[in-house]
Amino acid sequence: MSVSSALGAGPDGELPALQISGLVKDYGRVHAVQGIDLEVRRGEVFGFLGPNGAGKTTTIRCILDLLRPTAGRIEVLGLDPRRDGVAVRARIAYVPGELRLPERQTGRQLVGSIARLRGGLDASRARELAERLGLDLSRRMRELSSGNRRKVALLLAFLSNAELLVLDEPTNGLDPLMQHEFLRLVREEREAGRTIFLSSHVLSEVQRAADRVAVLRAGRIVASGTVDELRGRARQRVDVWFSNKPPTEELAALPGLEAQLVEGRHFAALLSGPIQPLLEILARNPVVSMLVEEPDLEEAFLDLYQAAS
Amino acid sequence: MSSVGRWAELVVGPFRSSWRAGVGWTIAFVLIVLSTVAFWPAFKGSTALAAAFQALPKGMIEAFGLQDFASPAGYLRGGLYELIVPLMFAAAGVLFANSATAAEEDAGRLELFLAQPVTRRAFLTARTLAISCWLGVLAIVVLASQLASDAAFDLEIADDRIISTIVLCALLGQFYAGLAIALAGVLGRPGLVLSVGLGLALVGYLVAALFPLSDVLAPWRQISPWAWALGGDPLVNAAEPWRYAALAGPALVLALVGIAAFERRDVRSA
Repeated sequence: MSVSSALGAGPDGELPALQISGLVKDYGRVHAVQGIDLEVRRGEVFGFLGPNGAGKTTTIRCILDLLRPTAGRIEVLGLDPRRDGVAVRARIAYVPGELRLPERQTGRQLVGSIARLRGGLDASRARELAERLGLDLSRRMRELSSGNRRKVALLLAFLSNAELLVLDEPTNGLDPLMQHEFLRLVREEREAGRTIFLSSHVLSEVQRAADRVAVLRAGRIVASGTVDELRGRARQRVDVWFSNKPPTEELAALPGLEAQLVEGRHFAALLSGPIQPLLEILARNPVVSMLVEEPDLEEAFLDLYQAAS
Repeated sequence: MSSVGRWAELVVGPFRSSWRAGVGWTIAFVLIVLSTVAFWPAFKGSTALAAAFQALPKGMIEAFGLQDFASPAGYLRGGLYELIVPLMFAAAGVLFANSATAAEEDAGRLELFLAQPVTRRAFLTARTLAISCWLGVLAIVVLASQLASDAAFDLEIADDRIISTIVLCALLGQFYAGLAIALAGVLGRPGLVLSVGLGLALVGYLVAALFPLSDVLAPWRQISPWAWALGGDPLVNAAEPWRYAALAGPALVLALVGIAAFERRDVRSA
């Protein structure tokens, strides 16, 4: 059986998992989301990055039809969440960022309750997930730590067999071991053909899990692409030790190179853009050694923010 | 799973979080009925009490339902069904409605459930049904307590008068629950639902009880749902059918307004 037929994708299997065009959401005078366009392909892990207050949760709540957009269009698996809300939510699993669960219910009761609303429960899968997450389902929500409550929500999401998992800050409160287990579960879901929309402000998590990323700032997407593309846009730190005095005038004229340090024969700079022009200058000058640091996503992220602001 | 199972979960779900409140109200209703009827033998046929009440202004006697206090109907009216029981039903209606809707939304606990394949209409309709069920259960509790204590303390009153009065009190509770659902559906703010809902329940009583004391205001008594419910003295006279409809109809309309408003607005987050 193919992945798409296993997931019941049917004739709409070629449609994107999520398509957002011109999404705007205002709360009175507050412009929480100011025209977002993005597309999430089927079967990918899509990282939705941004600091707190960037508009990530507002966007997600519009996807689930908990909020009504001021303008714009959302399609989830080819369906309109407003018009076809029940059909859309039957194919989505959601982990809220601000997690509030019924205090007096046990994990098992909550799993049963959500399973009845979703139309069924795979009890053995629930046990397996509880074991993997180290979760005691017999305890009441009010007795659980925030991390364990998060595990309950993750269990519900991974138990659902939904085609699209929308996870808002899913590792908040999880210890590093559980974060690792979470990433394993995400990879397994992707291998099973499911799509994961992973909203987070934790860069390392997105860096490790996501195929593509959109970076949100103040309600706008300021960058999107693969993790490698994003990293490629970041400035690289370059350290060069010349045999003689560095050719500072020639280097200063190079577009995209911002000198940070000139000390004796040591020249350090931040480089944005291709490295080839710099290499051509270096080739004309005797160089003792050179160090180019690989930019990580965090650097790319901060650069994007500085550029956007 | 069938949509029947989904509906059953939507209706039964709120009971899980409200059964403690339901037990609390049950105990309160049983105690208030039993403790009031237990004193009936002391007041039965008392002429001294009737003489003491004669000294009070006529309007005040009527405002507090104290007329004919030495008769079974007069005693139950003054002791229970003029103020305490209907007020408890109104408060229960508002509190149940608030805790099942606006309070849950304000606490962010609706988020996970509304992200499931259910419509907001079905969700709030099911909660409205659950609230009505609780008020129905409380009506049965009051009726059972009343009939049992009537027998135990030798208070003789026609069962149909008691049933009719308790049903009208429960419908008054449904009316205020409907009002609370409407407020919750439109606003989603528990503070406002409670203050406006309980405030209007009290105002309704004051209008029904005090307006008759003024010749100018007396005709306006009929704007109060309390007057629709108890204005015909249902412990003495058979209540006209319109009284039931006057409470149940607006209760339903108010709940529908709340449901329609909830479908159209943003769901508040914690």
